[in-house]
Amino acid sequence: MNDRNLARGVFLIAVSLAFGLQSLRYPIGQFSHAGPGLFPLMVSSLLLLIGVITVVRSRFEERVGLNFNIRNIALILASLCGFAVISAHLNMIAGIVFLVFCSAFAGTSYSVARNLKVSAGLIAVAFAFHKLLGLNLPLY
Amino acid sequence: MDVLHNLAFGFEQALTLQNLMFCAIGCTVGTLVGLLPGLGPLATISLLLPLTYSLPTGGALIMLAGIYYGAQYGDSVSAITMKIPHASSIVACIDGYQMTLKGQTGLALFTAGVSSFIGGTVAIVVLSFLAPMLGEVAFLFGPTDYCALMLVGFVCVSFVTTGSLLNGMAMCLIGVLLGQIGTDVTSGTQRFTMDLVFLSDGVGLVSIALGCFGIAEITKNLDNRNERTPFNGKIKLMPTWAEFKRIVPSALRGSVVGSFLGILPGGGPVIAQFAAYAVDRKFSKYKHEIGSGAIEGVAGQAAADEAAARTSFIPLMSIGIPENAVMALMMAAFVIKGIQPGPNMIAGHPDLFWGLVASMWVGNCFLIILNVPLVRYWLSVFKIPYSVLFPSILFFCCIGTFSVNNSLDDIFITAVFGFIGYLFVRLEMDAAPLLLGFILGPMLEENFRRALLIGRGQFTAFFARPISGTLLSLIGVFIVWQVAAFFLKAREATAHS
Repeated sequence: MNDRNLARGVFLIAVSLAFGLQSLRYPIGQFSHAGPGLFPLMVSSLLLLIGVITVVRSRFEERVGLNFNIRNIALILASLCGFAVISAHLNMIAGIVFLVFCSAFAGTSYSVARNLKVSAGLIAVAFAFHKLLGLNLPLY
Repeated sequence: MDVLHNLAFGFEQALTLQNLMFCAIGCTVGTLVGLLPGLGPLATISLLLPLTYSLPTGGALIMLAGIYYGAQYGDSVSAITMKIPHASSIVACIDGYQMTLKGQTGLALFTAGVSSFIGGTVAIVVLSFLAPMLGEVAFLFGPTDYCALMLVGFVCVSFVTTGSLLNGMAMCLIGVLLGQIGTDVTSGTQRFTMDLVFLSDGVGLVSIALGCFGIAEITKNLDNRNERTPFNGKIKLMPTWAEFKRIVPSALRGSVVGSFLGILPGGGPVIAQFAAYAVDRKFSKYKHEIGSGAIEGVAGQAAADEAAARTSFIPLMSIGIPENAVMALMMAAFVIKGIQPGPNMIAGHPDLFWGLVASMWVGNCFLIILNVPLVRYWLSVFKIPYSVLFPSILFFCCIGTFSVNNSLDDIFITAVFGFIGYLFVRLEMDAAPLLLGFILGPMLEENFRRALLIGRGQFTAFFARPISGTLLSLIGVFIVWQVAAFFLKAREATAHS
């Protein structure tokens, strides 16, 4: 499905169905006494309509390729999750070092020396937040 | 005279040592953020939002406002010197960069600085007179009117930020749906929580904002692999008297245009710049030079930019409805501090309102010092390579998310929204309307249900009141016009082929 406009429409339909079908499970009520399901159902129906229009329109528009680079976003998300896991189980200093070293793979060049410097700088900033602003960071 | 008295009171608040410091920090951070690529005012305000828990209310708001209008200015510096525009400085790239090519970088920066100062000053006068007046009008608003006003906001923001009503509305609606996650206030039902306890309070605004703006933006920049060439040119700042005389009328024109457009829903700096530029092209004495590096091409848009950034506070503070995504975040900051922006705010918290207004002028003075004599030092920021910058931004995203609830789990939610934000980037869907939808969603639902309750389930109630009736009719006309324009364009295209 290498068509950006079509993918956009499908994405909108998927979101609207996810919320719309779920909202049917809540009491809908009446217009004069709306239940918790009514408003989300109305909003997701509107979104579904926009999704369908987008899909239909994409058939009449010129195809635009979908440029999806999984590598960089995967590296960035991995470094964020790794930071959270390491900070929870070990400490945040190790988490920061992991964050810098892992995310740097997504950059144009990789240098261990530079990563060490950046890590040291960020650890210093974290200590400043901890001591000066009183943020409760699990640093060690 | 009341206004003067109130302004004096505001200056009393703004000129305390503590608030001066917050204003200076806000302006400096804002300028820095404006200069750096990949970190706009939206991401920065959401980053610093959690930190404001521990700051005094007035100081926190003054600082966040400073970041916003400081970033507007910083933006134009990178646009003028290197043609790197951010969201709000697209117009500065045209004549500003042409002036750089002609070797007049200093003059362009000086013009932008002075014009911003003029624009900001005019806007503050407008703000002091208009906001209290509008606040009184807001008392006439009923639930149907609020619903209609929010819908107007959605339509305008959708159209202005994305250029496509359909895409923008889709994002607004997704935002509204995300705002539904959590406990329903009226019935206590848990909605869309997937039985996860931490979702019963809803998704955190900071996670959404940082995911969709911070992380998605970083990844986009990394995908593009843009290597910036540092600006190393020498600059001469001071203009001649003849040049200076050309700045003032254009800046005044821009200030008026910007102040007016900033108030309208969906307005704000971006549209104000284009409008001011168009006005200059029509009415300036040097209109034939605009486009090829004219002073007027920089002055008018810079003034409009700053003016609109400040007058966009008017709807937030007088009616309680933010008109763009940054204002939605500002609203979140007010709410964090336990203040509901709206008609009661000016009467209930005069120290905050007038203190904020006065601090904007103090911020104006800080910005002119930061940006005119010190601008050459700021340019060295461009020498920081992106490979150093982006791990640092990621780190700040993590700390920002963590500090809201002192919970590392929130970082996972931010990561999820980072992925969704990246999807948005790749699908060419602007996330700014989503944020507005997210913040206004619960308010919209509450007023919608209340309006239907009062109207006994009849939708005609929305058209029975003059304010909501007029606003909804305007939306209707706009949608019909958009659909007609689409079909006309399609017919033309088929006729050509």
